[in-house]
Amino acid sequence: MQAAQTPSTTAVPLPAEWRDFFALTKPRVMTLVIFSGLCGLLAAPGSLHPVLAFTAILCIAVGAGGAAALNMWWEADLDAGMKRTAKRPLPSGRVDRTSARDFGVALSVGSVLVMGIAIGWLAAGILAFSIFYYAWIYTVWLKPRTPQNIVIGGGAGAFPPLIGWVAVTGDITLMPVLLFLIIFMWTPPHFWALALFVQIDYAKVGIPMMPVVAGERSTRLQILAYAAVLLPVAMAPWFIGGTGMVYGLSALVLGTIFLVLSIKVGLRRAGPDDAMKPEKRLFGFSILYLFLLFGMLVADRVATLQGWQA
Amino acid sequence: MMDEEQTRAFRARQKSRSRVLGLVLGAMAVLFFAISIVKIAKQAENRHPVERLSPIKQS
Repeated sequence: MQAAQTPSTTAVPLPAEWRDFFALTKPRVMTLVIFSGLCGLLAAPGSLHPVLAFTAILCIAVGAGGAAALNMWWEADLDAGMKRTAKRPLPSGRVDRTSARDFGVALSVGSVLVMGIAIGWLAAGILAFSIFYYAWIYTVWLKPRTPQNIVIGGGAGAFPPLIGWVAVTGDITLMPVLLFLIIFMWTPPHFWALALFVQIDYAKVGIPMMPVVAGERSTRLQILAYAAVLLPVAMAPWFIGGTGMVYGLSALVLGTIFLVLSIKVGLRRAGPDDAMKPEKRLFGFSILYLFLLFGMLVADRVATLQGWQA
Repeated sequence: MMDEEQTRAFRARQKSRSRVLGLVLGAMAVLFFAISIVKIAKQAENRHPVERLSPIKQS
């Protein structure tokens, strides 16, 4: 009764800002998705009208954003327990769960439909599967169950160049599959290098990351093994004649640097209060590696079209 | 119940969201229009050779 008689000012939650919804799409990850998708599109034999090429890349980016929003919706509780992710829109309470889920579904469905209508249903089908792969196979199924989560889940990030390629050609050949394999093999050493220096966070929320479950020594050796396999896989497009020397030599040089940095990580043991510099260096270079490798793939295609190489 | 300052913040947030949503919808309308034009132009391009061939065959 008293509350009804005396009007009081209660804190009403403000509606989420558009920036918070944008943050749900993991814009940082999206830059790599856009870049690798664009490279796949530009390196593919054939051409696509600029408007359709823009639409294809937009759909890949929006689809990735939708999958990221669904990932954040599902993992809101886990994110709240980790320093690295505690400030994300959901754990910090800036966006409510239902809005995040609906936003993720709308972006995912919208991107697949537009891709299908504007570009083709094969590219749309692969995009739909990549969203399902990330949001369900990786986020819901594998990540909380197996330390191999990153290996199989890495496939989700490997789809953009494949989709970009298929958007131009309309079919799947060995070359786009190799581009997929490059990112697939690159993901474990890239992510485990990060997991080595943030392993305390993962252990706290019970995610079975490789360093938490198998131990640091095993993780380091596996980083080394994947880096050793990545070198020939990255050079395979050159071996099968899909690219020229520009790409082939770049893949050789970049892969060798990647392998050397991985050897430094693979063969060392971290002491107490270790600054983890080799791991941080490998993580940083792994991002640069992918940007340069795919950049060189496009440069190689330009060089071939211009007649600068056979 | 919200006080004046809260109401102002609430409205400002709503306005900002509406403005961005409007921009996104506008951009989508332009994109769909551009896609339609490109698709129509492509169809017309594919049809031309047949149309050009048929009178030659008749003559």
